Amino acid sequence: MEARGSAVNTPASRPVTRRSKSYGRSCVEAPSYFWQTPGHLTVLKIPTSRGAAKSQLITDKVDPEHIALLVKNEWKLSYVTPLHHFRHTQLKSYSRHLAAFIAAEKQQGVAVEVGLEAGFKVTFTAVLGLAETDEDAETVFIQIQSKPAFAAAADAPKVVWRGWLTCVNGDPEYLRSLPPDFVSLPLFCTSGAESLTTLVKTWFERAFDCNFGSLALNSTTLNWLAALWTGCHPTCNIRHLKLAWSLPTQPPMDVSYTVNPQDAWELWNSIHPEESTDDKIDIKEVQSFISGLETHFFRHFKIYLSAGTLVKVSTALGSAHLDGKIKIGNSDYITTLLTLLTESALLKMPT
Amino acid sequence: MDALATSILNRIIRRIPNKNIESLLKKWNCLSADQLRALDYTRPKWMIVEHIVSFCEENRLNLKHITTLEMIYHIENPNQGTWHACQLAEAQDDAVCVELTQFKEQFKAHLHGVIRHISIKMKKHEDEAIWIRIAWGDNFSKPNHLKPTYVVHHLHTSYVFISNLMVKHKIFLCQALVIATKHGYIKDGHLSTRSLTAMRDLLLRHYQQVFPNEHSRIPQERNTLSSHPCIGKEHGDHEEMRHQMSCEAFGHSPSPKLETAVYRLETRYRGNGNNTLSDREEFFRGVVRFSSSSLLDSLRHCVASGMAEGPVTPLLSAIIQRGRNYFVITDKSPGVSSQASAQRA
Repeated sequence: MEARGSAVNTPASRPVTRRSKSYGRSCVEAPSYFWQTPGHLTVLKIPTSRGAAKSQLITDKVDPEHIALLVKNEWKLSYVTPLHHFRHTQLKSYSRHLAAFIAAEKQQGVAVEVGLEAGFKVTFTAVLGLAETDEDAETVFIQIQSKPAFAAAADAPKVVWRGWLTCVNGDPEYLRSLPPDFVSLPLFCTSGAESLTTLVKTWFERAFDCNFGSLALNSTTLNWLAALWTGCHPTCNIRHLKLAWSLPTQPPMDVSYTVNPQDAWELWNSIHPEESTDDKIDIKEVQSFISGLETHFFRHFKIYLSAGTLVKVSTALGSAHLDGKIKIGNSDYITTLLTLLTESALLKMPT
Repeated sequence: MDALATSILNRIIRRIPNKNIESLLKKWNCLSADQLRALDYTRPKWMIVEHIVSFCEENRLNLKHITTLEMIYHIENPNQGTWHACQLAEAQDDAVCVELTQFKEQFKAHLHGVIRHISIKMKKHEDEAIWIRIAWGDNFSKPNHLKPTYVVHHLHTSYVFISNLMVKHKIFLCQALVIATKHGYIKDGHLSTRSLTAMRDLLLRHYQQVFPNEHSRIPQERNTLSSHPCIGKEHGDHEEMRHQMSCEAFGHSPSPKLETAVYRLETRYRGNGNNTLSDREEFFRGVVRFSSSSLLDSLRHCVASGMAEGPVTPLLSAIIQRGRNYFVITDKSPGVSSQASAQRA
């Protein structure tokens, strides 16, 4: 998928008639038909160069409590198409609607867990400050708390699900081309029961006429992360650079290569010198870095890692898995990671 | 039956499927046939345990009997926990004459001599293996029966397999083993795995080995540019050669089910030629870990299918040849960066 730029139809199977049961006052406005979404006319390209990862005290910009929520979990990634009529001013009412929707669906017996969750409390929060450009919409964090049916009155409700929608350094041309009714928060990260994820997605799809899809990362993204994170080592100890491959042998074999952080950085620095005037990192440099590591491995074991797939990259700054699971280890470098993931999400959207 | 005995019993029963409880209790031979019949194995585990405890009290069984049950359980289920191999060296002339009773006496006498509170239990298994269970205490505390060390040794072999040993007890155990087996010293075997069976098969060579023969010699020079009719034949030859090569290095299937191999690389950087890093003196440090449900099968397939270039590097064939799965790889001497060797025993 090098580039894309065709006009697109929203799926014709879009549910036009709403189901008759009620789950609170509906916030869905009269169905609108955007058979053609002009936003898709812009061409999204995979960048071949990008700036080095820069540390920034994110807690100066964003509420530290909010940042703490993002850092501790492992997140499963999805992409979302632009949200129609989403308003950051309406978060309170969204909280009520989603809670009512979940309760209604659970009572209907759609979900498998029986009787465990009696009441759900949903909180939508705007995480202000994560956005980098004027075009980026502010991040929205959703938390679902549940109180078991037979819990004592004093028991605090338990957080059973977390998720957030974000857009960091989204392609400005693409974002500008969206009609004014749309808000693009293309990256959706979730942590919690799959059944709740499905319910939240369904509610969003009905309320904002959008579509979700799972976001698997590709090896290029993993390569970028390996290089960008390694480049941070002089300012922030990355502790290790760990790359994991999966080889299609019988039975399958996993190979992990944990490189000393200083040595990894010196290799990176020999390819992309720190003092170079040009701040931009080229994809060729990234590839040469990874192939440098693969070659060193090959000289020892005579095994072609290229016969397999790079499945995971991790450092103290974070980790990313090919199947679309990430962890954020250090919030100071969160912007770099989210920029990359926002880009992946935008590219992954159906054309 | 005190609380400790009950909790050990609880832990054993919790780990095994209900359908296997009966056969374990039978082997234990401490409950009567009537009692065994009276147990309902379809019940939840906590109920079964309660029932067994009441029988134990009836039969006046104590901690000693329960630890025997634990040993039987471990002998029946050897592939759990992490096992480490140790190698005995410098056998004395009479090492081959050591008998079980003698081994037992010497081993126990030594440990009882150095540690005041210790509980040692020994059992000879059908396959000639001696199983030893040690619960360690010290001068002030009673033996800890919840964290026993297990040791397996086949008399007259130079390997000892150990699981769940604390560093502070290592020296005592090693001394006792050296004395009881009449050897000079004992060293780390650099082999650890969850499967005792795999470890034993690998070290005691219980697998089908493949030896190089005249027909299978790997040609030094490979003619890759050959053009026509024989291409098919050549490809076939290559494939056969790769297959032979992989079997020589990793044995025939099925091989011992080793799960991991770890290499600590402390070698000079050997990447792309035009890199400045190649000239530097310091090592390029890293740890490579291979893992698979059956590592030797995976590596064999890797070589046979052409995912690896032949001939098989000594680093990988050393797993079988030297019976190890932990290696520290260093460059032989400063300035020579062509050869890596598996050093440091």
